Amino acid sequence: MNSVTDAPPPPARSVLAALTLRRVLIALGLAVLVAIVLNPVFITPFVVLLGRTLVVAMVLLLVFIAAGQWRQRWLPGWLVRVLAVGFAAPLATFVVYLPSVGGDVMAVLRHEGRLSGFILIASCALVIGPLLALGALYRERDAQARSQGLQFALEKSMLERQALDAQLRLLHAQIEPHFLFNTLANVQALVESGSPQAAAVLKSLIDYLRGAMPQLHDDAATLGNELGLVRAYLELMHMRMPDRLRFEIRVSDDLKPVRFPPMALLTLVENAIRHGIDPSEQGGQVDIGAQRDPDGRVRLWVADSGVGMSEQAAPGTGLTNLRARLRAFYGESAQVELIEQPPHGLRAELVFQAS
Amino acid sequence: MTRPTALIADDEPLLRELLRGHLARVWPELEVVAEARNGREAVELFDTLLPQVVFLDVHMPGLNGIDAARSIARRAQVVFVTAYEQYAVQAFEQGAIDYLVKPFDEPRLADTVQRLQERLAQAAPPDGGSLDAVIDQLSLELRKRASARAYLQWIKASVGASVRLIPVEQVAYLRADEKYTLVAWEGGEALIRKTIRELADELDPERFAQVHRSVIVNLHQVAQVNRGPNETAEIALKGRREMLPVSRSFVHVFRQM
Repeated sequence: MNSVTDAPPPPARSVLAALTLRRVLIALGLAVLVAIVLNPVFITPFVVLLGRTLVVAMVLLLVFIAAGQWRQRWLPGWLVRVLAVGFAAPLATFVVYLPSVGGDVMAVLRHEGRLSGFILIASCALVIGPLLALGALYRERDAQARSQGLQFALEKSMLERQALDAQLRLLHAQIEPHFLFNTLANVQALVESGSPQAAAVLKSLIDYLRGAMPQLHDDAATLGNELGLVRAYLELMHMRMPDRLRFEIRVSDDLKPVRFPPMALLTLVENAIRHGIDPSEQGGQVDIGAQRDPDGRVRLWVADSGVGMSEQAAPGTGLTNLRARLRAFYGESAQVELIEQPPHGLRAELVFQAS
Repeated sequence: MTRPTALIADDEPLLRELLRGHLARVWPELEVVAEARNGREAVELFDTLLPQVVFLDVHMPGLNGIDAARSIARRAQVVFVTAYEQYAVQAFEQGAIDYLVKPFDEPRLADTVQRLQERLAQAAPPDGGSLDAVIDQLSLELRKRASARAYLQWIKASVGASVRLIPVEQVAYLRADEKYTLVAWEGGEALIRKTIRELADELDPERFAQVHRSVIVNLHQVAQVNRGPNETAEIALKGRREMLPVSRSFVHVFRQM
């Protein structure tokens, strides 16, 4: 369906998006906890200690998120993020100590109290940081899986809706009144003249009407039944324009049990008559055929030698919905192709993977 | 007194036969001098035989019944024949034009025949005024229905050895490529001879917009528009990697979105 491949948003915005309130609160909460636990060991006032742990926690959170934005191919993303947090832990702690000694690096390392303080905070950060990072990663993956599941369900429901829409449209005005009344007038002519053809034509009309009536059950949806409907339609059209329409249906028997969406082939045949044969004074030939390709897919075609379709020709609802119906029936790989047929005319092909 | 003469035009032979049979019963004196299979034949046969009454099927290949009537009107009594064109029946009723509906109903045919006989007896000239108006109205209507939409519905493009008809709704974008135009649609890419300028005129502006001197995009396939430097922009398409440029003079297309 609409697999939208959006361009990646600018980094600054996605960092902000990843910096959720939940993550900030967890980081701050843990920083407070560490400060309370370490307080008895430290001689520095609690507020200063708390300030240091809070800063370290926030820096680690930012490092974790920033590392997630980094696109590289050498290491798995989660490892990079955990490692980044691990490296940042002592570094950030060290930097936090610098302001208190006026930026003098050696002052931190030489002073025993500061050094042990640094080691304590750094080791706490080193243990808690990567662990927290792993937990966050796990949650992220979980959310991703869930959103993928939702996406999948959404696509599935859209497909189902499309199939339902197509079915609803089928229920509406499938049989064109113009076709029906003209055909009935022809039957009237045959009956009034006492033609022996009348009975055969009436049978075609009944077959056509039965096939074109909306079916509530799909059990009868086979290619064989569809071909019966198409043959009845073409017989009727041939009675109406005997001098202008010739047709041939060549489909081998082994393809007839294949499941097939009702009216899909008829739509193409009606299109061939409407746009190809009917507008032509000379008329033409309609050939219907099918074959199984070497890859197992079924290829079905309707080729006419009529006047062809103009670039402005309105496709009609049947033709517009055809692709959606086929895809709902056979899956995404089903195709409809219209090709110009030299010297004039149109060839419509359906290709699908039939079970 | 000579027998009245008539011409029957219908593309379906059984229906010509049917009307001929009914007329023989309802109006035995009438002589059907010819049958035509389409509008063009009807006009030709009329010009050589000059019958007094012409039965014209509305829906015929080539020249339809309405357009055929244009050349025949005022020189003969015209009766239209139709199966189910509601819009036509309405127009005939309003213009008090003679018409028959298939399948035929004999009492109705008898009414029509009686009116025709009266007019022929008075040697009244066919009523031209309202007929002309109805012809103009229906001719327009038929052309509208007979597929001719104002905008392109299909792009005809050579793919391999064959010419594919690509439904415009499947086209993602069109881009000028030297002398040709590249069409990118769901099924691939192809080159066509039409220029971007021609296409911009022929495609439905509700669906397609020119966004660059050399690019037309299907608005329904746009995923997002990213603002760029110097009042330009870039278009990301649904399900495609390539980005399309939007030049400064076309940025306004997306302004209200």
